[in-house]
Amino acid sequence: MGGSRGNLTQYPVAHRVSVSEFDSSLPIRAKHGDEQAFIRIVEFYYPRCMRFARNMLGSEQDAEEAVQDAFVRVYDSFPRFREDARFDPWLFRILANRCRSLLARNERRRAVIEYGDVPHGAADSEAGADWAEEVRVVLESLPAEQREAFLLRHVEDMSYEDIAAMTGAGLSALRMRVKRACDALRARLTEVSRDHG
Amino acid sequence: MIMDERDETIERAAEALSALAPLKGGAVARVLLAVRAARARRAPVWLRVSWWMQDTSVSARAAGLMVAASLAVGFVLRGAVASDENIRLARTGGGIVALQPVANAPAEPQAVPVSMVFDLANARSVAVVGDFNGWDPSAAPMKRIGGTGPWSATVVARPGRHTYAFLVDGTMLVADPLAPRAGNPDFGGDASVMMVRTP
Repeated sequence: MGGSRGNLTQYPVAHRVSVSEFDSSLPIRAKHGDEQAFIRIVEFYYPRCMRFARNMLGSEQDAEEAVQDAFVRVYDSFPRFREDARFDPWLFRILANRCRSLLARNERRRAVIEYGDVPHGAADSEAGADWAEEVRVVLESLPAEQREAFLLRHVEDMSYEDIAAMTGAGLSALRMRVKRACDALRARLTEVSRDHG
Repeated sequence: MIMDERDETIERAAEALSALAPLKGGAVARVLLAVRAARARRAPVWLRVSWWMQDTSVSARAAGLMVAASLAVGFVLRGAVASDENIRLARTGGGIVALQPVANAPAEPQAVPVSMVFDLANARSVAVVGDFNGWDPSAAPMKRIGGTGPWSATVVARPGRHTYAFLVDGTMLVADPLAPRAGNPDFGGDASVMMVRTP
C-alpha cells in the first residue's frame, strides 16, 4: 500500500477555499448532508468561534478544544436545526455550552491548586503593562455568566434577544450581567489609564 | 431600565478583545478530522456497510467486494442461527470483508502492521490518518526514508476495509495515488481505501 508520487495540485482540498461572505443557505445544505457546505461553515466561523472561546477560557489550547467539540456537536445536531432559525445564535449556544463545560472542568482542577497561587497575568498587571492585557485580566476575574454576556453583546455584537434565546436567561438579567461587566471594566481600566497618563 | 451604555472605555475594551487571530495552518483540518472520527465511532454497522457500498470509484474490484459482502451477510445470518460463531469473515479473490462482531463475540481479529509509503518531495511533514487510528494527526507521523527519500510509516490495522489519507503539512488531506479512492469523499478532502487481510 502506498503511492509513488503525490501531487498537491492534483488533489485540491475543499477546506482550503477561502470564504469572504457567509451564504445563509449553507446551514440548510449542511443539514441535508452537503459536506462541502459544512466545511465552508467551519471555515467561515472558526476564527469568530476561536475569538469567543479564547476570551471566555483565557487559553488557546482550551479554546481549540471547545471549538472543535462545538463543531462536532453542530454536525451531530444538524438534523434538529430548524431551517427558519438563524444560524449564529444556534452555533454560539452550542459553543457557549462547551465553554461552560470546560470552565467547570478547569474550576475543578483549579480547586486542587494551592491557595495563594499568583493568577495568570497578575505580574503584568502590577507592572502596569499592556492595556489590552489589563482588559483580559479584568475579564478573567468576572463571573463566567457576566463574561459570556459581555462578550456576546459587545464583542460578538449580538442583540439581547439573540443572547436570551441562546442562554435561556431573561433580558433584564442579561442587561444586568453586561452592566456589571462594564462597570468592572470601567473601574479598573479608568484606574490604569490614570496611572499611565 | 438598565441602560446599555457603550462609552469610550468599553469601546476600547471590546476592540482589544475583537482581534481575530489568523487561522492557524491545519486548524480547520483538525476540526474536520474530529468530526469524521466522531462520526466513524458512532456509525452503526449497517451504515458502515452502506458507506462501503457507496465506494463506486473502485469499480470492478468494488463489484467483487460487494458480492463478497452480500455473501458475508448471508453467511452471518445463517451462522447466527446455526451456530455460536460470532466473528464472520468471508474470503474472496478480491480480498476479505470483515463484519463487526455481534454481541458476546470473542476477541476481534488481531491488528497487523501495514507499511505505508508516500512520495512528496516538498512536504514538510506527513502523517497517516485513517479510521484505524481515529483520524488522529499525531498517531502515525511519517519519516523520510534515509532522511531525504519518500515518506514512510507503519500503522496497525485490523483485518478488513479501512479508509485513510495522508495529512500533509498538517493542513492538507491527500489521497493515496496508488490506492482506490473512497467513493464518498467525506470531510476535508479525498480518502483512499485499503483492504487488510488476515495474517
